[in-house]
Amino acid sequence: MSTMNNTRIRRFTAVQRLFHLLLMVSFLVQGATGLARMYIETPWGQYIAWVFGGYEYCLTIHIYVGIFMLAGFLVHFFYLLARIDWKGFPKSLLGRDSVLLQPRDAKEAYEHALWLIGIRDWPRFDRWGYWEKFDYWAVFWGMVIMGVTGLLLAFSLSSSRIIPGWGLNVAFWVHRIEAILAMGHVFIIHFFIGHLRRHNFPMDKAMFEGSVDIDSVRHERPAWYERLEKNDDLKGAITTEAGRGRRAVFYAVGYLAMFTGLFLLIGGILNSAAITW
Amino acid sequence: MKGQYGHRALLALAAAILIAAPGTVCSQEEVSSAIRRYRDLEVSTGYYEEYEVRPQRQRPFVVLPGVGRGAFPYSPSGARVRIRSRLADSHRGLQFYDVQRCETCHPEQSDDLHTVRANLTCRQCHGGEPIASIDHYYSPMNPIRRHAYVCAKCHEGAGASFASYVIHPPNPADIKALEEFPALFYVFWAMAAIAVGTFLVFLPHTFLWGIRELLARKKETSGEHHE
Repeated sequence: MSTMNNTRIRRFTAVQRLFHLLLMVSFLVQGATGLARMYIETPWGQYIAWVFGGYEYCLTIHIYVGIFMLAGFLVHFFYLLARIDWKGFPKSLLGRDSVLLQPRDAKEAYEHALWLIGIRDWPRFDRWGYWEKFDYWAVFWGMVIMGVTGLLLAFSLSSSRIIPGWGLNVAFWVHRIEAILAMGHVFIIHFFIGHLRRHNFPMDKAMFEGSVDIDSVRHERPAWYERLEKNDDLKGAITTEAGRGRRAVFYAVGYLAMFTGLFLLIGGILNSAAITW
Repeated sequence: MKGQYGHRALLALAAAILIAAPGTVCSQEEVSSAIRRYRDLEVSTGYYEEYEVRPQRQRPFVVLPGVGRGAFPYSPSGARVRIRSRLADSHRGLQFYDVQRCETCHPEQSDDLHTVRANLTCRQCHGGEPIASIDHYYSPMNPIRRHAYVCAKCHEGAGASFASYVIHPPNPADIKALEEFPALFYVFWAMAAIAVGTFLVFLPHTFLWGIRELLARKKETSGEHHE
């Protein structure tokens, strides 16, 4: 039973998990307060707005949390700069542990698509799959789009000195469509891949616990596993499973986030015909 | 010598006032001419007479929407009959006007954010009877003073640029928006294409993945045999 203790491989550092946790919480708050205002004509929207103290408070919270997210994004940006291996730059950006999209990812995406329709074996993924890299850069792009348009709209008196006032009409729709895209992607695709597909069910705890099950790495990411083995990094990367109490917290947080997201998604779709767009 | 110092002190005082005094707030700016904003950006002499630039608000020829034959002479009687955007009472001469509601004739003007979300009534911006036309010279809605007379009632400090926000925007998805607000139309469809494109790729991707894993058992047990 000694293998019960050393069953996991480190995947995310504590700082990375903290970034994800802060992003997760603030994303849900932004989604809820934003949808509350968008759906304020419906009882569903009024209910969400009530949670946050009403229509006006929703906007106040939305703006402050938005600024908090942008600050976090800035900190993350400096974190990225600090984490880059500048000695091997720029070649180091194309390493196997890098989340930059590379030609290899197109090949793997193609092979994965063939696996999806059942005519090929599972591709030899390394540490990050192309869908995970896409998720990461989607947030990056979304942060810029939502942050810029959000700031323009939140400080409209000042921003209309820089851009023409009708630009706010445009910024509003960019903000709205990007928000729908982001929430749709997270609440359907990200949650399903992370939690609900059979091999991860009931939950992929990697982003909370920081580690993944060694067996699933061997099968889902064989190239990563072999690379660790070859470089003698495997021993250093192996860690124990979190205790029962901590795992319970992970499940509670993860499922709370998922149900919040599904509540926003389903309510948003069901009520979409009842609002003035 | 003394007078010279006094002169300098006066200059210094003036400079200090210029530095210390607060700048103009947005609503204090005056947009008295259509060419004023152009002049701000002009690098040469920076001054053009009205007749030297393409006329904006005061067009010598008025294009009637829907007629499509181009320009009609701009005459006082013609304007009074045809051009409601320049009347002192924009609803002048309309039959049964007293018993109509605004949204009976302007339904598209009552489904925007200011009306629906902020619960503003038409009159809170457009004023009481008689409602002057938007471009009537003394109308509070005239773009030369709209920011200060209308917008700034709620948006304290609103400037002329701020007032160019389109309160009653067209539906950005509608082909009509291409003519009325092309920037909104193009940006809307570009963003929609990005969103729809992402979902078109990743929804089937996710769906297929789910189905595939339901069918394909996790290879965990066989993996342990390899050890």
